[in-house]
Amino acid sequence: MRRVVPVLAILAWRNLWRNYRRTLIMLLAIGLGVWAMIFMAAVMRGMTDEMVRNGLHTLPGEVQIHQRDYRRDPSVVNSMAPPSGALLQALQQPPVVAWAARVRVPAVLASERGSRGVTLLGVDPQAEAPLGSLPQELVAGRFLSGADDRGLVLGASLARRLETGLGKRVVIMSQDPHNNVADRGARVVGIYRARLSGTEERFLYAGRSVVQDMLGMGGAVSEVAASAGDYRHVAAWYPRIAAAAGADLEVVSWTELDPFLDTMLGVQDGFSLVFMVVIFLALSFGLINTLVMAVFERIREIGLMQALGMRPRLILAQILLESLFLLVLGLAAGNLLALLSIVPLESGIDISGVALGMEMMGMGNTLYPVLALRDMLMSTGVVVTLGLLASLLPAWRAARLDPVRALNTT
Amino acid sequence: MNVTWLLAWRNLWRHRRRTWLTVGAMVFCNVLLVFLISLQLGSYQMMIDGTLSAFTGHIQIQHRGYLQDQRMRQSVPDAALLAQRLREVPVVDSAAARAEAFALASSEERSFGVLLTAVQPHYEPRVSTLPDMISQGRYLRASDAHEIVLGSLLARNLKVGPGDEVTFLGSARDGSFAAAVATVVGIVHSGMDDVDRNLAQVPLGWFQRVFAMGDRGHAIVLRVHHLDQVDAAVAALRAALPAGESLVVLDWETLQPGLRQAITSDMASAWFMYAVLIVLVAFSVLNTQLMSVLERTREFGVMLALGMRPSRLARLVAMETGLLGLLGLVLGIALGALLTAYLGHVGFTYPGMDDMAARFHLPARMYPRVSLLSLCWGPATVFVGAMLAALYPALRLLRLRPVAAMRAA
Amino acid sequence: MSSISCHNLCKTFRQGDEVITALDRVCLDIDEGEFVCLSGPSGSGKTTLLNAVGALDSPDSGAITVGGRRVDNLSRSAQADMRLHHIGFVFQAFNLIPVLSARENVEFVMQVQGVPAARRRQVADQVLAEVGMAGLERRRPAQLSGGQQQRVAVARAIASKPALVLADEPTANLDSSSAAQLMDLFVTLNAERGITFVISTHDARVMAYAGRLIKMRDGMIVADEPQQPRAMGA
Repeated sequence: MRRVVPVLAILAWRNLWRNYRRTLIMLLAIGLGVWAMIFMAAVMRGMTDEMVRNGLHTLPGEVQIHQRDYRRDPSVVNSMAPPSGALLQALQQPPVVAWAARVRVPAVLASERGSRGVTLLGVDPQAEAPLGSLPQELVAGRFLSGADDRGLVLGASLARRLETGLGKRVVIMSQDPHNNVADRGARVVGIYRARLSGTEERFLYAGRSVVQDMLGMGGAVSEVAASAGDYRHVAAWYPRIAAAAGADLEVVSWTELDPFLDTMLGVQDGFSLVFMVVIFLALSFGLINTLVMAVFERIREIGLMQALGMRPRLILAQILLESLFLLVLGLAAGNLLALLSIVPLESGIDISGVALGMEMMGMGNTLYPVLALRDMLMSTGVVVTLGLLASLLPAWRAARLDPVRALNTT
Repeated sequence: MNVTWLLAWRNLWRHRRRTWLTVGAMVFCNVLLVFLISLQLGSYQMMIDGTLSAFTGHIQIQHRGYLQDQRMRQSVPDAALLAQRLREVPVVDSAAARAEAFALASSEERSFGVLLTAVQPHYEPRVSTLPDMISQGRYLRASDAHEIVLGSLLARNLKVGPGDEVTFLGSARDGSFAAAVATVVGIVHSGMDDVDRNLAQVPLGWFQRVFAMGDRGHAIVLRVHHLDQVDAAVAALRAALPAGESLVVLDWETLQPGLRQAITSDMASAWFMYAVLIVLVAFSVLNTQLMSVLERTREFGVMLALGMRPSRLARLVAMETGLLGLLGLVLGIALGALLTAYLGHVGFTYPGMDDMAARFHLPARMYPRVSLLSLCWGPATVFVGAMLAALYPALRLLRLRPVAAMRAA
Repeated sequence: MSSISCHNLCKTFRQGDEVITALDRVCLDIDEGEFVCLSGPSGSGKTTLLNAVGALDSPDSGAITVGGRRVDNLSRSAQADMRLHHIGFVFQAFNLIPVLSARENVEFVMQVQGVPAARRRQVADQVLAEVGMAGLERRRPAQLSGGQQQRVAVARAIASKPALVLADEPTANLDSSSAAQLMDLFVTLNAERGITFVISTHDARVMAYAGRLIKMRDGMIVADEPQQPRAMGA
């Protein structure tokens, strides 16, 4: 069999080009189909990545540690002591690259013109920076200088709605552990812009020690966030943190914090696969048609080869090889096209025309398609596997031809 | 039947397998398009209805700028009276006045910032479905004074239930300190986390007193009988509004710009896929028709020699393609309609859809809806694509010379 | 030793409503090295007999042995192997694979047999020279005349050194001088290599070359007698 492959390959290759018009049209179709598969997958991957990135940005840290009841009842009452002992040790070891403890409580922010419900984040900027959880872009003023900075940083859209601005005084109100309303006047020292306007309206940054003082919670914090750099592999390390944290604390990964994002990641590959299969099915009719015609035109030749002693299996192999050449050429064209069309777009496609719609899905106003090897391999797998499966029928029919009749076909 | 049509039909069946494979490609594409477009149009309708009927309404009348800034002072004067007057406008189905303010809500144990919405208990259920989603207690009544209904998650966070009291602290319209106590009478559970976490509704009259609003509100929420009437209603309302109050009429696309854009972006990505499918099917037709023309070169040569004009041959090929396309169209629409009608009856779901659906206020099971538009849109495009694809093989015939053609192998 | 032995071969075909008897209790023995012509009008069963002997087709009943092997009851793959290794074929037309050159056509059978490349090349060029095709090895079938194509087919048939070559109307599409050249080639190969030839024909000039002439009609052998073959080139 091995010795025969070269001659089968030559036959298949030359036969492919006997009807070059048909082959070129089919190549064009396969190339276009493959391009569409990869392009769509790249856009989908880009969207999912973006959603996850934005999602993680609003819940920074791939792993969060809370007091057991905090997530159900995010109140100052359900605070935890700052990490110590085994947990502290686990957080200071690889693969954890950054961690921060913060206060995170619901609050009301009031200016002289109005008030809004917000989430008050008491942070330590030095610890948060490596987590990437601080606002990326300040439009005015400065960020907090440290955990005991007495200023406030708020989102541009919140500032506009409250008719306040840099240097103005505002009042924060929140509940202390005894359910007394604690309030405190503070000066706006910075205004930030976020990718999603929902984020701007919701999160208010203050120094951690200042918030702890105001709420009378001592050194306690609401949550500890930790990151190991790559959000996709969180399942590998977070159980260790959970073990170190002990039973009084709840350790959850972002996949549990935002199941929507996790689902999106999960269904993304599924959607890509379904899309690829659908595109392929549309292609498969043309592919089978091409092979059926190719066999039909060559019935006598196939009869001759059989008469000369070629086993049916080799006839089958020859037709499959012809199909494989067609598919591989089409794949090469499609992948090249995908590469050429996606790489220039990786710096971002402006979709601000539909930005608010995308924000409903957790997207910013730029779409970054991601050309992933995985998608290219997946499309190749789908096309080659299903392509050969579809070719089996015409190939099998060719192999089953009766040599005597085939030779006598006119 | 005309002889040429008969000839075209018979020619189609000289290669039965090839013809069926080509028709198969069209039918596959058509069924898929009918189903997906039905699903899309159906879900857009549900998305719009779901989002708008929950709270937003079809149209709102607000003070200019309130939509962007939501400031207390950007108010609608004589809100209840205006709503009363607008109910008289013919296209308007119902209208209700609302007002809003942020406040710190405190129960015995907990405090949260909430957005208080003041409603007209009698009219609110006619513009919003939330009042029907009471899971405990009751909704507000026109006779209520200091009663409140809360979203289920907010009630849980505040650790209150019907009968408990909640204290509110906020700033009144005049900048003064506003404080009041309200009694919880009902809990709303909508299943949409965003709503359940934030909903806090109080009677308008009480709100106007506590927040020093006088007779003002922040919005008149209106519903029309049907979505199609929104444009007409907007025009009618603009005319009916008192002059000089800097009030604006906002339709749902302005109130929920994300909704229209989400639909637009979904349409765009769906049409990318449809376009690819249609082009692939067109290639299939091109291939088949080109082959069928090439293998008949000799035959066409004879026909030319007999005195047939090349344009007649081109027309014959176009007719063959037309019949091929028609077959795909009819079978595709029939099978597509059957499949869609069946799934429209039993509904269907796919993994991950619950989360996706909840974000867009959709039920977790989808029911595609068959309409004339969804049935014909896709298949008609496929048909046009097929006819365009047959242009090249048909036009090739115009260049055919009888002697050369008859000599062709 | 007998090269071919047929015993009571029967074969019928249906053509529309008619049942055609192609082979009717045919018994035949052909010895190694014989040069046999099958003659008879079309429909007499020549081709069917040739196909049955060549393991291309199976008879409805009866037994055939070729070179001591039964070929009437083989599977399709075993039939293919039989043809590949023990029998050479020359057909009336469409003998060559159009996408392969003359040399590649000759090499084709050997390649399927698994002969190493260098040896293949050597044998191909040698047999092509033997049939008078030296210098035309790289031409594709479309670039060769009918006679040249048939000679390439002969070269291919003998390349794998079969003991038996079957030729079905090999001269039917040739002009008379090409036909004579082809028959001379068959005679030479029969004499020099000892290959058994069975040739079906209804051309009297071809029959003249045979050492044994078998006449068929309606699926039966009606005459089977030795004859003095015509001299080469005469």
